[in-house]
Amino acid sequence: MWRYFFRRVNLFFATTLVMMAVLFYATHQFPVDESYALSGISNPSAEQLEHISDEFKLNSNSVVQFLAYVEQRFSGNMGMSINSQQPVFEELKTVLPASFELSLVAGLIALFLGVPIGVIAALSSNKFVQWSILGLTLTGYSIPVFWLGLTLSLWFGVNLGWLPISGQINLLYQIKPITGFMLIDTLLSDSSYRIPAFVDALMHLILPAITLAVLPFTLIVRITRQAMLQVMNQTYIRAAEARGLHTFTIIIKHALPNAMIPVLKSIGIMLGTFACYGIIVEVIFSWPGVGSWLVSGIYQRDYTVIQAGILSVSLLIIFLSILIEFIHTAINPMSKKELYATN
Amino acid sequence: MTLFWKLTPKTLLCAAVGMLVSACGQATLPPGLVYCSEGNPESFNPQVVTSGTTIDATSHQLYSRLVNYDVEKGDITPGLATDWYISNDGLNYTFNLRHNVQFHHTDFFKPQRAFNADDVLFSFERIINKQHPYHFVSRTGYPFFQSIGFESLISSIEKVNEYQIVFKLNRKDASFLSNLATDFAIILSREYADQLLIEGEPEKIDLQPIGTGPFQLNQYVKNEFIRYTKNPQYWLGDIDIEHLVFDITPKSTSRLAKLITGDCSVSALPKAGELAIIDQHSHIKVDAKPGLNVAFWALNTQKPPLNNISVRRALAHAIDKQNILDVVYNDIAVEATGILPPTSWAYSNNLPANNYDPAKAKNLLDKAGVKDLVINLWAMPVARIYNPNALKTAELIQADLANVGVKVNIITYDWSIFTQKLVSEDYDSVLIGWNADNSDPDNFFTPLLSCSALESNNNRSKWCQKDFDHLLTLAQNTTNRADRKSYYQAAEAILSDQVPLIPIAHAEKVLLKRNNITSMQVRPYGGIAFAKIKHNAQQGNQ
Repeated sequence: MWRYFFRRVNLFFATTLVMMAVLFYATHQFPVDESYALSGISNPSAEQLEHISDEFKLNSNSVVQFLAYVEQRFSGNMGMSINSQQPVFEELKTVLPASFELSLVAGLIALFLGVPIGVIAALSSNKFVQWSILGLTLTGYSIPVFWLGLTLSLWFGVNLGWLPISGQINLLYQIKPITGFMLIDTLLSDSSYRIPAFVDALMHLILPAITLAVLPFTLIVRITRQAMLQVMNQTYIRAAEARGLHTFTIIIKHALPNAMIPVLKSIGIMLGTFACYGIIVEVIFSWPGVGSWLVSGIYQRDYTVIQAGILSVSLLIIFLSILIEFIHTAINPMSKKELYATN
Repeated sequence: MTLFWKLTPKTLLCAAVGMLVSACGQATLPPGLVYCSEGNPESFNPQVVTSGTTIDATSHQLYSRLVNYDVEKGDITPGLATDWYISNDGLNYTFNLRHNVQFHHTDFFKPQRAFNADDVLFSFERIINKQHPYHFVSRTGYPFFQSIGFESLISSIEKVNEYQIVFKLNRKDASFLSNLATDFAIILSREYADQLLIEGEPEKIDLQPIGTGPFQLNQYVKNEFIRYTKNPQYWLGDIDIEHLVFDITPKSTSRLAKLITGDCSVSALPKAGELAIIDQHSHIKVDAKPGLNVAFWALNTQKPPLNNISVRRALAHAIDKQNILDVVYNDIAVEATGILPPTSWAYSNNLPANNYDPAKAKNLLDKAGVKDLVINLWAMPVARIYNPNALKTAELIQADLANVGVKVNIITYDWSIFTQKLVSEDYDSVLIGWNADNSDPDNFFTPLLSCSALESNNNRSKWCQKDFDHLLTLAQNTTNRADRKSYYQAAEAILSDQVPLIPIAHAEKVLLKRNNITSMQVRPYGGIAFAKIKHNAQQGNQ
């Protein structure tokens, strides 16, 4: 198992290095001065220029430059945002938690609703229930997220006026960022408007979270259903039934844990699409996360922000995919067997 | 794995409770007001910019002026100057200053004295005196003051005593007081400037503002928000609004959505099509007033092919302004014949306009021997009061010109880059406009089309004509309205003949507000002001 673990860690570093190389190459293709694209300082003074060229080893060959680039970026030197003239790292620290908050809530909604509904779809003998769940998930899966986001905001925001559809919180609440998670920060703040602020933040979260949850939700339902159908036909389930166990116990104890393995795998595969959908949802709902930050950086030709945005998002995806793959192997007896057979 | 199953009913319950709270609970908001603004300010000092977004965020919120403009009467009223008198030759303006006016008291600046003549001296010396330590602190110069030739107009500014100051002019200028009442002529703190010089950070004067206005800056996060708190020592008395927040929302639809869902209380610059949606929401009111503004298409008169007057005339005849009014402005605008809007007192409707006549346009182009003309058309990416959708306008112009055989390439950049590139790059033509800062007609001519405006890069047509400039000087030299009107009409006639720009429309100034906002008025010119707003406590989500 350890050997497998180190192979995965190796894979993580190798992929990251390749990604950095692509980013490094792309940075040099930006139609601006090298030092500007790297540091984000417009009209640098002679001293600053020297400092930048020293940091990024601009006078050495490209291999040394690449290593210096990797070193600088991973030590937190992301340069200054060209547009706001703030350190990009500081901005990243405020936008990343906002994105985490949104994706976490969306992911939890998808998981906690998706798994039970998938199980119901698999076990229900009622054709109507089966077909309607399948039909609904197929519809959900086919709806483009931008259309869904706009439709939901049109209905619940503009027409009904129930839910806010833009931003993270009403700006009159002055919340100091502590964890970066708005829901937690509102509760931690010492303002007398703590509870209303929390409710307001929750309201702002509902529509974007639901929009983002639809895709993983439908996938989880479909895969859970498929896996459950397969698992329920296994001999050990029949053996459990023969022992007279209650159906509920069979599902929870014997069927579901095994059915979760393909679900976990599909979550890993879905990450890239999920991140992409996250960016779209953030833009639609003006959610101040890394996605809308990256997109506005692209619009404003903010080269340092583009680099940092791509770097952080892809690093996260690489890390999480490998993590999920590792967990998948660790809890899946089948793949363990495969591993020990081959190794 | 069993965890998932057990938690589900709880989660559902939580969600249900959440929905319940949302449906019946009225969220209580801290006292204050959120304004959905359309962009980031470039600076926090209106002296150094001309952009309306910056003016909105600074001028009437953070600062005060010597004199003000009364919106109702169109008169000059006292500001930081309590009264003033003008010498008989019209060259000396003496101002008596208000006592006990306090500058903002903040973490980084604790004023030791009240406002006095030194502050006035500093604020204007900075602009006109090239030796002044603060003159070159502004990297963008002082575009409004340069465009009206302020430097050459003022011979000297003299402090008589702590509370009296004299402006000595080189020539008579009927628009001088009006110019002092513009959003740009704000008063800075000399004491703060001295402190910054000692600290070695003079550039902070434009970024960490100190003024005498109703609000002081609390926090600014670019692309996100600007927070103000009220100035407890405001010289005009107590203000109703505790906190003022500018929610920076560049997308017009998002601004509308935030207004509907209650995330902001006031918003501006709706797109034409959005007004129909607002009609369905009874809690949102639309305030519209004819504005003192003009949207125009400036033609670069220094660059071929548009240096050819026949080509410019042809273009003027080729575009269908009525169509633009219908599509882009949704009829909340009037067609522009000249550069002055109908609400200006110098306006006259018997101007020979370049009417829509594609056949004539084609004819002119043929006569000039111009074939296969290709021009670049720069269009602003953001909504401005004078043009809510410049890109759409550009597309309509593109279609109109295709009819007469002219190919148009539309170019656009993000707003801050757009304004930078307008100065540095060689464009063919640009769709832009002007929102007046005061009701003096001079404000439409000198800052936009005079030779001094050419030097300050504000003259988008890069056009400088002696006769035209002479007319403007004549008009400034007299205070007789009838004479001035005839001069401005003559100037309009030159514009119509030479076509350095093609006026398109005068838009109405539209402000959207939730109906708990009372006593907020649309100002026909200049930036938005929040000091006098009242709003009742009834808040919440609906």
